[in-house]
Amino acid sequence: MILAPHVPFLLKGALLTAEACALALFGSLVIGLLVAALRTSSSPLLSRAAFIYVDLFRNIPFIVQLFFFFYGLPEIGIYIDAFTTGVLALSIAGGAFSSDVIRSGILAIDTGILEAAEVSGLSKPTIFRKIVMPIALRTSIRPLGSVFINLVLTSSILSTITLNELTGSAKIVASDTFRPFEVYAVLLIVYASLTYLISLAIGALHRRLNRDRMPDVA
Amino acid sequence: MRYTSFTSYDLILLAQGLGVSVALFLVTTLIGFLIGTIWAVMRFYRVPLLTPLITFLAELLKNSPVLVQLFLVFFGLPALLKINVTPVEAAVITLSGNTAAFIYVIAVAAIESIGRDQIESARVFGLSRWQILRHVVAPQAMAFAIGPLTGLLVNQLQVTSLISVIGVVDLTKIGNILNLRTLKPFIVWTVVGGLYYIAAKLIALGGARLERRLRAHTAWKGL
Repeated sequence: MILAPHVPFLLKGALLTAEACALALFGSLVIGLLVAALRTSSSPLLSRAAFIYVDLFRNIPFIVQLFFFFYGLPEIGIYIDAFTTGVLALSIAGGAFSSDVIRSGILAIDTGILEAAEVSGLSKPTIFRKIVMPIALRTSIRPLGSVFINLVLTSSILSTITLNELTGSAKIVASDTFRPFEVYAVLLIVYASLTYLISLAIGALHRRLNRDRMPDVA
Repeated sequence: MRYTSFTSYDLILLAQGLGVSVALFLVTTLIGFLIGTIWAVMRFYRVPLLTPLITFLAELLKNSPVLVQLFLVFFGLPALLKINVTPVEAAVITLSGNTAAFIYVIAVAAIESIGRDQIESARVFGLSRWQILRHVVAPQAMAFAIGPLTGLLVNQLQVTSLISVIGVVDLTKIGNILNLRTLKPFIVWTVVGGLYYIAAKLIALGGARLERRLRAHTAWKGL
Protein backbone atom coordinates (compact mmCIF):
# COMPACT_ATOMS: atom_id res chain seq x y z
CA MET A 1 0.00 0.00 0.00
CA ILE A 2 1.13 3.54 -0.72
CA LEU A 3 0.57 4.73 2.81
CA ALA A 4 2.72 2.09 4.52
CA PRO A 5 5.96 4.13 4.74
CA HIS A 6 4.04 7.06 6.21
CA VAL A 7 2.35 5.14 9.01
CA PRO A 8 4.94 6.04 11.72
CA PHE A 9 4.57 9.72 10.85
CA LEU A 10 0.78 9.48 11.04
CA LEU A 11 1.02 7.63 14.33
CA LYS A 12 3.05 10.50 15.75
CA GLY A 13 0.26 12.83 14.71
CA ALA A 14 -2.32 10.53 16.27
CA LEU A 15 -0.32 10.56 19.51
CA LEU A 16 -0.37 14.36 19.52
CA THR A 17 -4.15 14.29 18.96
CA ALA A 18 -4.52 11.84 21.85
CA GLU A 19 -2.38 14.01 24.15
CA ALA A 20 -4.28 17.18 23.25
CA CYS A 21 -7.64 15.45 23.72
CA ALA A 22 -6.66 13.90 27.06
CA LEU A 23 -5.44 17.24 28.43
CA ALA A 24 -8.47 19.06 27.02
CA LEU A 25 -10.80 16.44 28.51
CA PHE A 26 -9.28 17.07 31.93
CA GLY A 27 -9.39 20.84 31.42
CA SER A 28 -12.97 20.90 30.21
CA LEU A 29 -14.11 18.68 33.10
CA VAL A 30 -12.51 21.04 35.63
CA ILE A 31 -13.98 24.12 33.95
CA GLY A 32 -17.30 22.34 33.43
CA LEU A 33 -17.60 21.40 37.12
CA LEU A 34 -16.66 24.89 38.25
CA VAL A 35 -19.06 26.63 35.87
CA ALA A 36 -21.85 24.17 36.63
CA ALA A 37 -21.36 24.91 40.34
CA LEU A 38 -21.57 28.64 39.63
CA ARG A 39 -24.65 28.26 37.45
CA THR A 40 -26.52 26.28 40.08
CA SER A 41 -25.34 28.52 42.92
CA SER A 42 -27.82 30.68 44.83
CA SER A 43 -26.03 33.90 43.87
CA PRO A 44 -27.80 35.47 40.87
CA LEU A 45 -24.66 37.39 39.87
CA LEU A 46 -22.47 34.28 39.68
CA SER A 47 -25.04 32.18 37.85
CA ARG A 48 -25.60 35.03 35.39
CA ALA A 49 -21.85 35.32 34.71
CA ALA A 50 -21.59 31.54 34.21
CA PHE A 51 -24.56 31.61 31.82
CA ILE A 52 -22.94 34.35 29.71
CA TYR A 53 -19.73 32.31 29.43
CA VAL A 54 -21.59 29.18 28.33
CA ASP A 55 -23.83 31.08 25.93
CA LEU A 56 -20.91 32.87 24.26
CA PHE A 57 -18.62 29.87 23.80
CA ARG A 58 -21.42 27.62 22.57
CA ASN A 59 -22.61 30.05 19.92
CA ILE A 60 -19.30 31.19 18.42
CA PRO A 61 -17.52 28.84 15.98
CA PHE A 62 -14.53 27.05 17.50
CA ILE A 63 -12.20 28.19 14.74
CA VAL A 64 -12.96 31.85 15.58
CA GLN A 65 -12.28 31.19 19.27
CA LEU A 66 -9.04 29.45 18.34
CA PHE A 67 -7.84 32.33 16.18
CA PHE A 68 -8.85 34.76 18.93
CA PHE A 69 -6.49 33.02 21.36
CA PHE A 70 -3.77 32.12 18.84
CA TYR A 71 -3.37 35.63 17.43
CA GLY A 72 -4.62 37.52 20.47
CA LEU A 73 -2.56 36.13 23.34
CA PRO A 74 0.86 37.20 21.93
CA GLU A 75 -0.64 40.68 21.51
CA ILE A 76 -1.01 41.02 25.30
CA GLY A 77 2.44 39.57 25.94
CA ILE A 78 1.54 35.92 26.56
CA TYR A 79 3.76 33.75 24.40
CA ILE A 80 2.73 30.10 24.47
CA ASP A 81 3.18 27.48 21.75
CA ALA A 82 0.46 26.28 19.40
CA PHE A 83 -0.09 23.06 21.36
CA THR A 84 -0.81 24.86 24.63
CA THR A 85 -3.03 27.38 22.87
CA GLY A 86 -4.94 24.55 21.22
CA VAL A 87 -5.44 22.65 24.48
CA LEU A 88 -6.49 25.87 26.21
CA ALA A 89 -9.05 26.73 23.51
CA LEU A 90 -10.38 23.15 23.44
CA SER A 91 -10.72 23.13 27.24
CA ILE A 92 -12.58 26.44 27.32
CA ALA A 93 -14.96 25.45 24.52
CA GLY A 94 -15.38 21.92 25.92
CA GLY A 95 -15.93 23.39 29.39
CA ALA A 96 -18.94 25.33 28.12
CA PHE A 97 -20.53 22.17 26.69
CA SER A 98 -19.72 19.89 29.62
CA SER A 99 -20.92 22.45 32.17
CA ASP A 100 -24.36 22.29 30.57
CA VAL A 101 -24.37 18.51 30.87
CA ILE A 102 -23.12 18.53 34.47
CA ARG A 103 -25.64 21.25 35.36
CA SER A 104 -28.54 19.08 34.26
CA GLY A 105 -26.98 16.22 36.25
CA ILE A 106 -26.93 18.47 39.33
CA LEU A 107 -30.51 19.66 38.81
CA ALA A 108 -31.66 16.03 38.59
CA ILE A 109 -30.39 15.27 42.11
CA ASP A 110 -33.16 14.59 44.60
CA THR A 111 -33.43 17.69 46.83
CA GLY A 112 -34.03 15.41 49.81
CA ILE A 113 -30.40 14.30 49.63
CA LEU A 114 -29.21 17.91 49.76
CA GLU A 115 -31.52 18.77 52.66
CA ALA A 116 -30.30 15.73 54.57
CA ALA A 117 -26.70 16.83 54.01
CA GLU A 118 -27.49 20.37 55.15
CA VAL A 119 -29.21 19.17 58.29
CA SER A 120 -26.19 16.98 59.04
CA GLY A 121 -24.24 20.23 59.32
CA LEU A 122 -21.99 19.78 56.27
CA SER A 123 -20.61 22.97 54.80
CA LYS A 124 -21.59 23.99 51.28
CA PRO A 125 -18.20 23.19 49.68
CA THR A 126 -18.20 19.76 51.33
CA ILE A 127 -21.71 19.03 50.10
CA PHE A 128 -20.65 19.95 46.59
CA ARG A 129 -17.41 17.94 46.63
CA LYS A 130 -18.61 14.84 48.45
CA ILE A 131 -22.24 14.54 47.43
CA VAL A 132 -23.30 16.67 44.46
CA MET A 133 -20.21 16.14 42.30
CA PRO A 134 -20.00 12.33 42.42
CA ILE A 135 -23.72 11.88 41.76
CA ALA A 136 -23.86 14.46 38.95
CA LEU A 137 -20.74 13.06 37.25
CA ARG A 138 -21.81 9.46 37.25
CA THR A 139 -25.36 10.06 36.08
CA SER A 140 -24.22 12.31 33.24
CA ILE A 141 -21.39 10.09 32.01
CA ARG A 142 -23.15 9.31 28.72
CA PRO A 143 -23.80 12.93 27.60
CA LEU A 144 -20.30 13.80 28.83
CA GLY A 145 -19.07 11.06 26.53
CA SER A 146 -20.69 12.64 23.50
CA VAL A 147 -19.13 15.97 24.51
CA PHE A 148 -15.77 14.19 24.57
CA ILE A 149 -16.37 12.60 21.16
CA ASN A 150 -17.16 16.04 19.81
CA LEU A 151 -13.93 17.28 21.39
CA VAL A 152 -11.95 14.63 19.48
CA LEU A 153 -13.61 15.63 16.21
CA THR A 154 -13.07 19.32 16.97
CA SER A 155 -9.38 18.72 17.69
CA SER A 156 -8.88 18.31 13.92
CA ILE A 157 -9.32 22.09 13.68
CA LEU A 158 -6.06 22.52 15.61
CA SER A 159 -4.31 21.71 12.31
CA THR A 160 -5.18 25.27 11.21
CA ILE A 161 -2.82 26.78 13.81
CA THR A 162 0.27 24.97 12.48
CA LEU A 163 -0.16 22.06 14.87
CA ASN A 164 0.67 18.75 13.15
CA GLU A 165 -1.75 16.47 14.92
CA LEU A 166 -3.51 13.63 13.07
CA THR A 167 -5.22 15.84 10.47
CA GLY A 168 -2.17 18.09 10.13
CA SER A 169 0.20 15.19 9.46
CA ALA A 170 -2.30 13.61 7.06
CA LYS A 171 -2.26 16.90 5.14
CA ILE A 172 1.54 16.66 4.82
CA VAL A 173 1.36 13.01 3.73
CA ALA A 174 -1.34 13.87 1.17
CA SER A 175 0.83 16.52 -0.46
CA ASP A 176 3.94 14.28 -0.31
CA THR A 177 2.32 11.25 -1.96
CA PHE A 178 -0.06 13.10 -4.33
CA ARG A 179 -2.75 10.65 -3.17
CA PRO A 180 -5.14 12.96 -1.29
CA PHE A 181 -8.22 10.78 -1.81
CA GLU A 182 -6.70 7.65 -0.29
CA VAL A 183 -5.13 9.57 2.59
CA TYR A 184 -8.27 11.47 3.58
CA ALA A 185 -10.54 8.44 3.09
CA VAL A 186 -8.36 6.45 5.48
CA LEU A 187 -8.27 9.40 7.88
CA LEU A 188 -12.09 9.60 7.82
CA ILE A 189 -12.37 5.93 8.71
CA VAL A 190 -9.70 6.24 11.42
CA TYR A 191 -11.61 9.07 13.11
CA ALA A 192 -14.93 7.22 12.79
CA SER A 193 -13.48 4.02 14.33
CA LEU A 194 -11.79 6.03 17.05
CA THR A 195 -15.02 7.74 18.10
CA TYR A 196 -16.87 4.42 17.85
CA LEU A 197 -14.38 2.83 20.26
CA ILE A 198 -14.73 5.78 22.62
CA SER A 199 -18.52 5.44 22.61
CA LEU A 200 -18.18 1.72 23.43
CA ALA A 201 -15.83 2.55 26.32
CA ILE A 202 -18.22 5.18 27.63
CA GLY A 203 -21.11 2.72 27.54
CA ALA A 204 -19.03 0.27 29.59
CA LEU A 205 -17.98 3.01 32.03
CA HIS A 206 -21.59 4.14 32.44
CA ARG A 207 -22.69 0.59 33.28
CA ARG A 208 -19.81 0.15 35.71
CA LEU A 209 -20.39 3.43 37.60
CA ASN A 210 -24.14 2.94 37.82
CA ARG A 211 -24.11 -0.82 38.49
CA ASP A 212 -25.76 -0.51 41.91
CA ARG A 213 -28.74 1.48 40.66
CA MET A 214 -31.12 1.61 37.74
CA PRO A 215 -30.92 -2.09 36.87
CA ASP A 216 -33.21 -1.51 33.89
CA VAL A 217 -30.96 1.21 32.45
CA ALA A 218 -27.63 -0.52 33.00
CA MET B 1 -3.72 57.07 7.25
CA ARG B 2 -1.63 53.93 7.59
CA TYR B 3 -2.68 50.78 5.82
CA THR B 4 -2.98 48.98 9.14
CA SER B 5 -5.86 51.13 10.38
CA PHE B 6 -9.50 50.15 9.94
CA THR B 7 -11.44 51.80 7.10
CA SER B 8 -15.16 52.06 6.50
CA TYR B 9 -14.68 49.64 3.58
CA ASP B 10 -13.89 46.93 6.14
CA LEU B 11 -17.54 47.04 7.18
CA ILE B 12 -18.57 46.20 3.61
CA LEU B 13 -16.05 43.34 3.62
CA LEU B 14 -17.52 42.00 6.86
CA ALA B 15 -21.04 42.29 5.48
CA GLN B 16 -19.94 40.43 2.34
CA GLY B 17 -18.36 37.68 4.41
CA LEU B 18 -21.48 37.36 6.54
CA GLY B 19 -23.57 37.22 3.37
CA VAL B 20 -21.46 34.37 1.96
CA SER B 21 -21.64 32.45 5.26
CA VAL B 22 -25.41 32.87 5.60
CA ALA B 23 -26.08 32.10 1.92
CA LEU B 24 -24.04 28.88 2.05
CA PHE B 25 -25.71 27.98 5.34
CA LEU B 26 -29.18 28.44 3.84
CA VAL B 27 -28.40 26.55 0.61
CA THR B 28 -26.73 23.60 2.35
CA THR B 29 -29.48 23.44 4.99
CA LEU B 30 -32.10 23.25 2.26
CA ILE B 31 -30.25 20.55 0.28
CA GLY B 32 -29.36 18.68 3.47
CA PHE B 33 -32.97 18.81 4.65
CA LEU B 34 -34.20 17.39 1.33
CA ILE B 35 -31.63 14.56 1.23
CA GLY B 36 -31.99 13.74 4.91
CA THR B 37 -35.77 13.59 4.67
CA ILE B 38 -35.62 11.40 1.54
CA TRP B 39 -33.29 9.01 3.39
CA ALA B 40 -35.69 8.88 6.35
CA VAL B 41 -38.65 8.21 4.05
CA MET B 42 -36.69 5.39 2.41
CA ARG B 43 -36.20 3.92 5.85
CA PHE B 44 -39.93 4.36 6.58
CA TYR B 45 -40.70 2.33 3.43
CA ARG B 46 -38.03 -0.19 4.50
CA VAL B 47 -36.26 -0.14 1.13
CA PRO B 48 -34.00 -3.21 1.25
CA LEU B 49 -30.22 -2.79 0.88
CA LEU B 50 -30.47 1.00 0.77
CA THR B 51 -31.55 1.38 4.40
CA PRO B 52 -28.45 -0.21 6.01
CA LEU B 53 -26.26 1.58 3.49
CA ILE B 54 -27.76 4.97 4.39
CA THR B 55 -27.49 4.26 8.10
CA PHE B 56 -23.81 3.38 7.69
CA LEU B 57 -23.13 6.49 5.60
CA ALA B 58 -24.92 8.74 8.10
CA GLU B 59 -22.91 7.25 11.00
CA LEU B 60 -19.67 7.76 9.07
CA LEU B 61 -20.51 11.40 8.31
CA LYS B 62 -21.64 12.05 11.88
CA ASN B 63 -18.55 10.52 13.48
CA SER B 64 -15.78 12.12 11.47
CA PRO B 65 -14.47 15.70 11.51
CA VAL B 66 -16.09 18.03 8.98
CA LEU B 67 -12.62 19.37 8.19
CA VAL B 68 -11.49 15.93 6.99
CA GLN B 69 -14.67 15.51 4.91
CA LEU B 70 -13.98 18.92 3.41
CA PHE B 71 -10.39 17.92 2.51
CA LEU B 72 -11.63 14.63 1.04
CA VAL B 73 -14.04 16.45 -1.28
CA PHE B 74 -11.81 19.40 -2.12
CA PHE B 75 -8.43 17.65 -2.52
CA GLY B 76 -9.45 13.99 -2.85
CA LEU B 77 -12.29 14.03 -5.38
CA PRO B 78 -10.41 16.03 -8.08
CA ALA B 79 -7.43 13.68 -7.79
CA LEU B 80 -9.61 10.57 -7.98
CA LEU B 81 -12.06 11.55 -10.73
CA LYS B 82 -9.82 14.02 -12.61
CA ILE B 83 -12.40 16.80 -12.30
CA ASN B 84 -12.24 20.38 -11.11
CA VAL B 85 -13.89 21.18 -7.81
CA THR B 86 -14.06 24.84 -6.78
CA PRO B 87 -13.93 25.70 -3.07
CA VAL B 88 -17.60 26.76 -3.09
CA GLU B 89 -18.68 23.49 -4.77
CA ALA B 90 -16.67 21.46 -2.27
CA ALA B 91 -18.23 23.46 0.58
CA VAL B 92 -21.77 22.91 -0.73
CA ILE B 93 -21.24 19.16 -1.23
CA THR B 94 -19.62 18.59 2.16
CA LEU B 95 -21.93 20.73 4.27
CA SER B 96 -25.06 19.39 2.55
CA GLY B 97 -23.94 15.80 3.14
CA ASN B 98 -23.07 16.52 6.75
CA THR B 99 -26.38 18.29 7.44
CA ALA B 100 -28.26 15.47 5.68
CA ALA B 101 -26.69 12.88 8.01
CA PHE B 102 -27.78 14.75 11.13
CA ILE B 103 -31.25 15.51 9.77
CA TYR B 104 -31.67 11.83 8.87
CA VAL B 105 -30.99 10.85 12.47
CA ILE B 106 -33.41 13.47 13.81
CA ALA B 107 -36.10 12.49 11.28
CA VAL B 108 -35.78 8.78 12.13
CA ALA B 109 -36.14 9.55 15.85
CA ALA B 110 -39.13 11.80 15.12
CA ILE B 111 -40.87 9.14 13.03
CA GLU B 112 -40.21 6.51 15.69
CA SER B 113 -41.63 8.80 18.38
CA ILE B 114 -45.10 8.27 16.91
CA GLY B 115 -46.91 5.37 18.52
CA ARG B 116 -47.29 2.12 16.58
CA ASP B 117 -50.99 2.03 17.45
CA GLN B 118 -51.62 5.27 15.55
CA ILE B 119 -50.10 3.83 12.39
CA GLU B 120 -51.97 0.56 12.88
CA SER B 121 -55.32 2.27 13.31
CA ALA B 122 -54.63 4.44 10.26
CA ARG B 123 -53.96 1.25 8.29
CA VAL B 124 -57.20 -0.26 9.58
CA PHE B 125 -59.01 2.77 8.20
CA GLY B 126 -57.57 1.84 4.81
CA LEU B 127 -55.03 4.62 4.43
CA SER B 128 -52.13 3.87 2.10
CA ARG B 129 -48.56 4.02 3.38
CA TRP B 130 -48.07 7.39 1.67
CA GLN B 131 -51.31 8.80 3.18
CA ILE B 132 -50.21 7.63 6.63
CA LEU B 133 -46.84 9.33 6.13
CA ARG B 134 -48.38 12.50 4.79
CA HIS B 135 -51.34 12.98 7.16
CA VAL B 136 -50.49 11.07 10.33
CA VAL B 137 -46.74 10.83 10.67
CA ALA B 138 -45.38 14.01 9.08
CA PRO B 139 -47.27 16.68 11.09
CA GLN B 140 -46.50 15.07 14.44
CA ALA B 141 -42.92 14.22 13.51
CA MET B 142 -42.33 17.83 12.48
CA ALA B 143 -43.53 19.14 15.84
CA PHE B 144 -41.27 16.61 17.59
CA ALA B 145 -38.23 17.36 15.41
CA ILE B 146 -38.27 21.14 15.50
CA GLY B 147 -36.43 21.36 18.86
CA PRO B 148 -33.45 19.15 17.93
CA LEU B 149 -33.53 20.71 14.45
CA THR B 150 -33.01 24.20 15.85
CA GLY B 151 -30.05 22.96 17.88
CA LEU B 152 -28.62 21.32 14.78
CA LEU B 153 -28.96 24.45 12.66
CA VAL B 154 -27.23 26.61 15.27
CA ASN B 155 -24.41 24.07 15.15
CA GLN B 156 -24.31 23.88 11.35
CA LEU B 157 -23.97 27.66 11.11
CA GLN B 158 -20.79 27.37 13.17
CA VAL B 159 -19.58 24.50 11.03
CA THR B 160 -19.71 26.75 7.95
CA SER B 161 -16.75 28.65 9.42
CA LEU B 162 -14.52 25.66 8.50
CA ILE B 163 -14.89 26.30 4.77
CA SER B 164 -12.57 29.29 5.17
CA VAL B 165 -9.75 26.71 5.45
CA ILE B 166 -10.20 25.64 1.80
CA GLY B 167 -10.37 29.24 0.62
CA VAL B 168 -14.04 30.21 0.53
CA VAL B 169 -14.20 33.92 1.42
CA ASP B 170 -16.74 33.63 4.21
CA LEU B 171 -16.92 35.62 7.45
CA THR B 172 -14.01 33.74 9.07
CA LYS B 173 -11.81 34.24 6.00
CA ILE B 174 -12.59 37.98 6.05
CA GLY B 175 -11.62 37.93 9.73
CA ASN B 176 -8.32 36.30 8.74
CA ILE B 177 -7.67 38.91 6.05
CA LEU B 178 -8.47 41.82 8.36
CA ASN B 179 -6.41 40.22 11.14
CA LEU B 180 -3.32 39.94 8.94
CA ARG B 181 -3.69 43.49 7.65
CA THR B 182 -4.56 45.41 10.81
CA LEU B 183 -2.69 43.20 13.32
CA LYS B 184 -5.47 43.84 15.84
CA PRO B 185 -6.63 40.27 16.59
CA PHE B 186 -8.76 41.15 19.62
CA ILE B 187 -10.92 43.67 17.81
CA VAL B 188 -11.22 41.63 14.59
CA TRP B 189 -12.08 38.28 16.18
CA THR B 190 -14.43 39.85 18.72
CA VAL B 191 -16.39 41.50 15.90
CA VAL B 192 -16.42 38.30 13.81
CA GLY B 193 -17.43 36.22 16.84
CA GLY B 194 -20.15 38.76 17.68
CA LEU B 195 -21.63 38.50 14.20
CA TYR B 196 -21.72 34.69 14.41
CA TYR B 197 -23.27 34.96 17.87
CA ILE B 198 -26.05 37.25 16.66
CA ALA B 199 -26.77 34.98 13.69
CA ALA B 200 -26.93 31.92 15.98
CA LYS B 201 -29.30 33.72 18.36
CA LEU B 202 -31.58 34.67 15.46
CA ILE B 203 -31.77 31.03 14.36
CA ALA B 204 -32.56 29.90 17.91
CA LEU B 205 -35.27 32.58 18.19
CA GLY B 206 -36.82 31.58 14.86
CA GLY B 207 -36.80 27.91 15.90
CA ALA B 208 -38.52 28.69 19.20
CA ARG B 209 -41.22 30.72 17.40
CA LEU B 210 -41.84 27.94 14.89
CA GLU B 211 -41.99 25.33 17.65
CA ARG B 212 -44.70 27.30 19.47
CA ARG B 213 -46.69 27.51 16.23
CA LEU B 214 -46.36 23.81 15.42
CA ARG B 215 -47.25 22.75 18.95
CA ALA B 216 -50.13 25.21 19.29
CA HIS B 217 -52.77 22.50 18.79
CA THR B 218 -51.37 20.32 21.57
CA ALA B 219 -50.60 23.16 23.99
CA TRP B 220 -52.64 23.53 27.14
CA LYS B 221 -55.14 26.32 26.51
CA GLY B 222 -56.80 26.34 29.91
CA LEU B 223 -60.30 25.28 30.82
